[in-house]
Amino acid sequence: MGAIEELVTELARLPGIGRKTAQRLTYHLLQQPAGQTSRLARALDAVAERVGPCESCGNLTEEQPCAICRDPRRDAALMCVVEDASAVAVVDRATEFRGRYHVLGGRLSPLDGIGPEALRIEALVRRVREDGVREVILATNPSMEGEVTATYIQQLLSAMAVRVTRLARGLPMGGDLEYVDGVTLAHALVARQELR
Amino acid sequence: MRLERVVVRGFRNLEAMERDVPEEGAALLGRNGQGKTNLLEAIYYPVLFRSLRGSADAEVTAFGGPGFHVAAQLAADGGALEIAATYQAAGKRKRIVVDGAEVARLADAVGRWAAVAFLPGDVALASGPASGRRQYLDRMLSLADRSYLAALSRYRAALAQRNSALRQGRGELVEMFDAPLAAAGAVVVRGRLGWLEGAAARFAAELAALGEPGEGVLRYHGAAPLADPAAWPEALERTRARDLARGLTTAGPHRDDLVLEVGGRELRAFGSTGQQRSAAIALKLVELDTLAEARGTQPALLLDDVFAELDGERQRRLAARLVQPEIRQVFVTAPRADELPAGISLPRWTVEGGRASA
Ligand SMILES: [Zn+2]
Repeated sequence: MGAIEELVTELARLPGIGRKTAQRLTYHLLQQPAGQTSRLARALDAVAERVGPCESCGNLTEEQPCAICRDPRRDAALMCVVEDASAVAVVDRATEFRGRYHVLGGRLSPLDGIGPEALRIEALVRRVREDGVREVILATNPSMEGEVTATYIQQLLSAMAVRVTRLARGLPMGGDLEYVDGVTLAHALVARQELR
Repeated sequence: MRLERVVVRGFRNLEAMERDVPEEGAALLGRNGQGKTNLLEAIYYPVLFRSLRGSADAEVTAFGGPGFHVAAQLAADGGALEIAATYQAAGKRKRIVVDGAEVARLADAVGRWAAVAFLPGDVALASGPASGRRQYLDRMLSLADRSYLAALSRYRAALAQRNSALRQGRGELVEMFDAPLAAAGAVVVRGRLGWLEGAAARFAAELAALGEPGEGVLRYHGAAPLADPAAWPEALERTRARDLARGLTTAGPHRDDLVLEVGGRELRAFGSTGQQRSAAIALKLVELDTLAEARGTQPALLLDDVFAELDGERQRRLAARLVQPEIRQVFVTAPRADELPAGISLPRWTVEGGRASA
């Protein structure tokens, strides 16, 4: 495979990018001054080399633990559980939440071969037990699988001395937290409800 | 709501077309294989964004072509509406645009426009397997009621996850999907039973009007108690061991049926072909009424070669009942104008070699 074809193929793997768009991007890059494409290549290399999951919360970070886990002003007794690292930035930007996060790395989905063992659920239970967490806020996506994952975790934590809450209903069903507008998300967090 | 203009490109054997559509509809005339039914299929596509013959989008795409595009310009009491669907064979991508804005999910566009299609294969509604009757119920109720469509898609998603957990033999995961299955499934059963309350009498009346002797009865066969979400845990508990053994969920509306009877006899097993044909037509007439009532406007009517199999008297009655251009738009196909029942005076389009001309 030629170099051009290789780049088109790699770009076309990205979400939301079809072959046509990948071709357009490739030719666009080829018309840029040499320094421009090298900077992009170096940035990609740097991300691949330096960024990885925080060993405590699973958020993406260059340092261990991540900036959120290190921040002493954040309330370690409050934990917000999300499906993906991308949701950390979304919740942090849109809401007043200033506790810590726990990234599951997905949601329960037998169709995709994802059971509890494939998610960072054990690590969650350990953190709740050892870090003095008072409240776990389940902020999985407002989809059927997100709800099921939240219920699973709530049942797992029900024997422990921790308050378990869920984002208030009313988020558009079937979506991703990332597509919910900030005001709605902030409201859903404030109006979160205790699960029993 | 009436179709005012239709745009078709790359769809089966049809030539690219962009045509104004007469207010009363059209009679599509032409020999078999020339494209009459394909044109009906294209007209219906913006209703469910699926082929009315149940074909996959790839099959609908013109042979060797890159994809297809269908757009419908509609006139409603409240104003105009434009629905467009574009399918790209590479990547199997479908884009749906309503009034210029792309919709995120197919379900958001389903039911913006409604039509009812009568097809030659419809007799299977009375003579064929339960799946056809469930499809009839689900399609009609989804177009009549958005909350039914939402519940149905949640139900299907929960069912697929639960069945997958069953096949993997993971009981603890199976249980996790019981709650969403029950919540959505109860809405589906409730929707079907609610429809049946009015539909049973309508079915009997339509059947009588078609000249069929004997009382027509429409009955729900299945777990009617599952209309109550509280009844689900016990039902799922009862079948859990069997479900795990088979790798399939065996309780729920995806197994139910609609039983048709005439004169106390079940039509599927004991009806004559004539009775079955009448019963299927009666069901379609109930669909037409259901949608007209639920939406407050007459759906368009698509009739594909439905008169050919009927005797003269039945042809006349059905044509009089259906083809009323002053209240609804009608598209009807026939090989030749003289094969249309007397009294049908719709503008004529000739369809030849995939090309429609007035
Ligand atoms: Zn961290």
